[in-house]
Amino acid sequence: MERAAEWSGPGARAPRAGFSWAVLLWSLVYPQRGHRILPTIPGVILIALALGIGTAAYNSSSNILFITLSLLLACLILSGVLSWLNLRGTEWRLQLAPPLRAGHDAVVGLDLRNGKRFLPTYGLWFEFLAKPVDRYGPARAESTVTASGAEVKAALARAEAAERRGRVPQIGRLDPRGEGRVEWIVRPAERGRLRVELASVGSLFPFGFLRKDVGTEVRCDAIVWPAPTEYRRHALGAARRVAGGERVTRPGTGGDLLAVRRYTPGDSHRLIHWKASARTQTLLVRQLAAESAEGYSLWVRTEGGMWRRPEQFEVLVSLAATLAEDLFRTGRLVAVAIDGGGPLPVRRVHDLELFLDALAVLRISEQPFAPAPETGAAGAEPATGTPRGGRQQVITFVPDGVRGVAAYVDGQLAASA
Amino acid sequence: MSRASARRPQLTLTELHQLKWLLGAGLTLLAVGTVFYMEVDAWVLMGLTAAATVATAARPGLPARVPRLAHWLAFPAMVAFFAGDLWLKTEILPAMVRLAVMLLLYRNITYRQRRDDLQVVVLGLFLVVVAGVLTVSLTFAAHLLVYTGCALALLLVITLTDAATGGKKQPPVPVGETPDWAQEADWGRLAGRLREVSDWRVLGFGAVLFAGVVGVSALLFLAIPRFQLENSMFLDRLITKKARSGFSDTIKFGDVTEIQQDTGVALSVDVSDQSQIPASPYWRMLVLDHYENGTFRLSLGLVGQEFGPGRTHALVHGDVKPQLGVATVWTFFLESGVSRYLPLLGRFELLRFREVQNFRLAPNLGLLALREEPASMTAYRVEGFDLSGVLPDPGFAQRWRERAEANPRRGTLQVRLPLDAAEQAQLAQLGREIAGPGRLAAGDFAQRTEEWLRRNHAYTLSPSIPAGAGDPLVRWLVSREAGHCELFAGAFVLLARASGYPARVVTGFRGGSWNGYSNNFTIRNADAHAWAEIFDEARGAWLRADPLGTSAAAQAAEPRGEQALVSRMDRSWKARLDSLRVFWYRRIVSFDTASQAETLKAMKEATQSTGKRLREEFAAAVAKVKAWLAQPWDGRRLLRIAAAVAALAALVWGWREFGRGWLRGWSRNRGAKGHPVRREAGGWLRRLEAADPDDPRVRAAIAELQRLRYGAPGTWPEPQGAFRRARVAARIGRPREDAVMAAGK
Repeated sequence: MERAAEWSGPGARAPRAGFSWAVLLWSLVYPQRGHRILPTIPGVILIALALGIGTAAYNSSSNILFITLSLLLACLILSGVLSWLNLRGTEWRLQLAPPLRAGHDAVVGLDLRNGKRFLPTYGLWFEFLAKPVDRYGPARAESTVTASGAEVKAALARAEAAERRGRVPQIGRLDPRGEGRVEWIVRPAERGRLRVELASVGSLFPFGFLRKDVGTEVRCDAIVWPAPTEYRRHALGAARRVAGGERVTRPGTGGDLLAVRRYTPGDSHRLIHWKASARTQTLLVRQLAAESAEGYSLWVRTEGGMWRRPEQFEVLVSLAATLAEDLFRTGRLVAVAIDGGGPLPVRRVHDLELFLDALAVLRISEQPFAPAPETGAAGAEPATGTPRGGRQQVITFVPDGVRGVAAYVDGQLAASA
Repeated sequence: MSRASARRPQLTLTELHQLKWLLGAGLTLLAVGTVFYMEVDAWVLMGLTAAATVATAARPGLPARVPRLAHWLAFPAMVAFFAGDLWLKTEILPAMVRLAVMLLLYRNITYRQRRDDLQVVVLGLFLVVVAGVLTVSLTFAAHLLVYTGCALALLLVITLTDAATGGKKQPPVPVGETPDWAQEADWGRLAGRLREVSDWRVLGFGAVLFAGVVGVSALLFLAIPRFQLENSMFLDRLITKKARSGFSDTIKFGDVTEIQQDTGVALSVDVSDQSQIPASPYWRMLVLDHYENGTFRLSLGLVGQEFGPGRTHALVHGDVKPQLGVATVWTFFLESGVSRYLPLLGRFELLRFREVQNFRLAPNLGLLALREEPASMTAYRVEGFDLSGVLPDPGFAQRWRERAEANPRRGTLQVRLPLDAAEQAQLAQLGREIAGPGRLAAGDFAQRTEEWLRRNHAYTLSPSIPAGAGDPLVRWLVSREAGHCELFAGAFVLLARASGYPARVVTGFRGGSWNGYSNNFTIRNADAHAWAEIFDEARGAWLRADPLGTSAAAQAAEPRGEQALVSRMDRSWKARLDSLRVFWYRRIVSFDTASQAETLKAMKEATQSTGKRLREEFAAAVAKVKAWLAQPWDGRRLLRIAAAVAALAALVWGWREFGRGWLRGWSRNRGAKGHPVRREAGGWLRRLEAADPDDPRVRAAIAELQRLRYGAPGTWPEPQGAFRRARVAARIGRPREDAVMAAGK
């Protein structure tokens, strides 16, 4: 697989392999993966014309017809040469800017570069393919010997239904030594790992006789975060304050000193910690803490016994992701945890992104559901294993009916989706 | 799309549509132009199509005015026309040609979609190929090349248009509506835009590629394996041929002279052995034995008597016996429209057609007639010509000897004179004056009669026959009026027959020029000629008698070969053009398996000889170097070598230090000056000189234009936008007329 960030294509400098006529001839007989040349309707007409004229030429021994036949064949050769020249020196680079979110448009960019000295490049199109990775196991049936036809068809249908394909044409001319960009808008249907590929680069240039497709190995993997969901707040805002409840300290403009750090251009001079700077011979500034607020921790449990319906599990993941983002935005997200994993403090955007990444690939675990002994009921607040080992302001999730999901804070319903 | 696109403008979608429309019109004109030389009765349709195409190309809005009814009726009408045409004329090919022209007409009065453009290309190719097959003319090669170039350009523009629309299928233009591109059509502006967007390097490269296509097709033509299928179907059998001009079985006085007005090539002849070429070749085509009231014709009696049954073959065996040694081969390329009687120098040993033909041979007359008038060039090779100018005719000799016997099936003796008694007596009297009291041998009589005719009549292409009663030829004969070859030949025949000698008129060509470039005879229609033949009883043969040329007896004494060619040598520009035609016939039209083998053999020999020469040159160079090294070394020699090495080093250093940089700078400046964006910016700056400099929009436009004109390409604003703003600024900054008038007052 070629790395997406690198230039690839006919014009990219590849390590020069030893030239071999055998390899060249074999590539003509058995093209590389994805390479395909198919006649278009004008091409079929041209071939039919050539066949007809050739038959007439042999039938009549007319050199006029032989000339016409030769000219038609030469035009086909010219078409091939021009098509090769058009692609020669052209490079592309896939650019995928995260974040990707299920149900939301994302831009897949393809940078183009024409390395030729004076010949422009015309009329390319780019076939993009986005497909989930390992979403339903192997994307295609591995064997058709043991599998029944229905199974194969079903596997293929599933794989194709999850795929997103798109063709983006190159509008206009890519000048010699010029660069350009095409963009493909893709909307991932579901969370998870997504592989975006430049499946092929095609062209009808120059005369439209042949449709040439050049397969590429350019691909790029990304994580699609869960789709945000609408939820109903119940008591999160009115949740009781717990004495000694966890408070959030984070950089801000409050009055308390949080830390001392190196000076970076743009810092106010008033924040310079002169004493510490003099002591360390390094310019240091004070980092103040933000006004504190009560924080919450999110704990997502994935036991299969609790989440028997996959679609309900998807609602759980979406609700967890949405709550996490909302809480982080208001500065009240303290930590996150998934199942028995240790709680992870969330201080920076990066921490939140890590949590969303984890949610994106979250699966229902095989572990049986163990109800909390204190509550004795499913959906109640868990007794053990809470983040930071405490019982403070932990948001947990339980199924709510057959489709919904409810979020509880210390046993009180806080939100539902 | 492209970041570098600011450097050179691109054609917009509208302009691409306009270009496509224009190229389609060009293709249509090229295609219907084939009717000019196809001999198909489609002149009216062709004129209509050409006129409609030119009109719609000039004003692309016109197709919107075609009424809806016309679109509804178009295809039923065409189908009905085709069916009617086929039924009435029973010729499939002309009907198809007319149908193709009609379809082209319709495609040019409607806005074309992609498939319609492809239809234009295919229909045009059909017309060009049919014209080529039917005419086998050199024009076809030029026509096909131009057509191919235009068709490829059209297909390229279609591809670019599709790419510009992102591959989306364009909806058809509703009937009665004018598309945007047609409303905005301005061909002058489009030409300017094409100049702007064109890069001379790309254009040059395109020209080289097209030359490559021609070269590759030539190679393919040579390399395609050939084999011949018998009983072939050929396009020219689907059309009834008719001669445009030329010799037929009946010739009135003036017919040959009329042919002489045409300076076009009638015949090209290759000769394998130039030493055999006679000084005055007479290319016999037709024998006219029957005379009546100013008209000579080939009598049915002679046809039935001398012409054999019709045959279909590629080989014709003559009655000349094979000679020892290699026979001289004469290759004839007879143009269409000349005659169905093939020009020959006399009797022959073997005649070989390029393809199977239907023909009838008259060995005693030395004539060969095709069944039908060839509509295209006819090629044939003749071996073992009898060039003596004497045509033995043992059958006629036998009949002549037995003329006194009453034999109703004897056949024509070619002495009949359908004149009244007075005219016959007048001619007999003249014969006696010419020949004297005794009976001369035929050759002597011919010689005296030729001299008499030359003495009494001058040569002219515009003769006048004295008015009066009786036979016109006799009136001319007894007058002192000038005449042309037919009058001379006819008068000779009348005099000979009146004196009791069998005689007849022969038509064909005389002479011709020797093309100094392609080394072949070129016989033009202007070389058409008529002469006579008189039967020599003693030799049992017909002798040529030409009052205006060379008799058979005189020809025997004339020089042959190169000496004979000197006076006929033609190295004019016309000959250069004719040599192209001969090349076309020799190398292209007559190319067959034998030619293919010869070409391969020639290539092999050329490669071998080139390799040998290179090896020899290399060996000689090595020997020279060795000899140079072996020369005694002394101080002066060393000094000379050192000086040469130093000079070379200085040259290299100078080039690397100064020359290369100067060349790069020069080419960069040259390219910059010629850049279309800079040129257009300069034009706008000149236009804005008269604008109000205080207007901020004018100032901004000038600043942008100056950046485009003089700035580095990387700093340019988007050119089209800048030009648009400049246009607005020019409009704003233009002094108003009333202000100007007020200032004037």
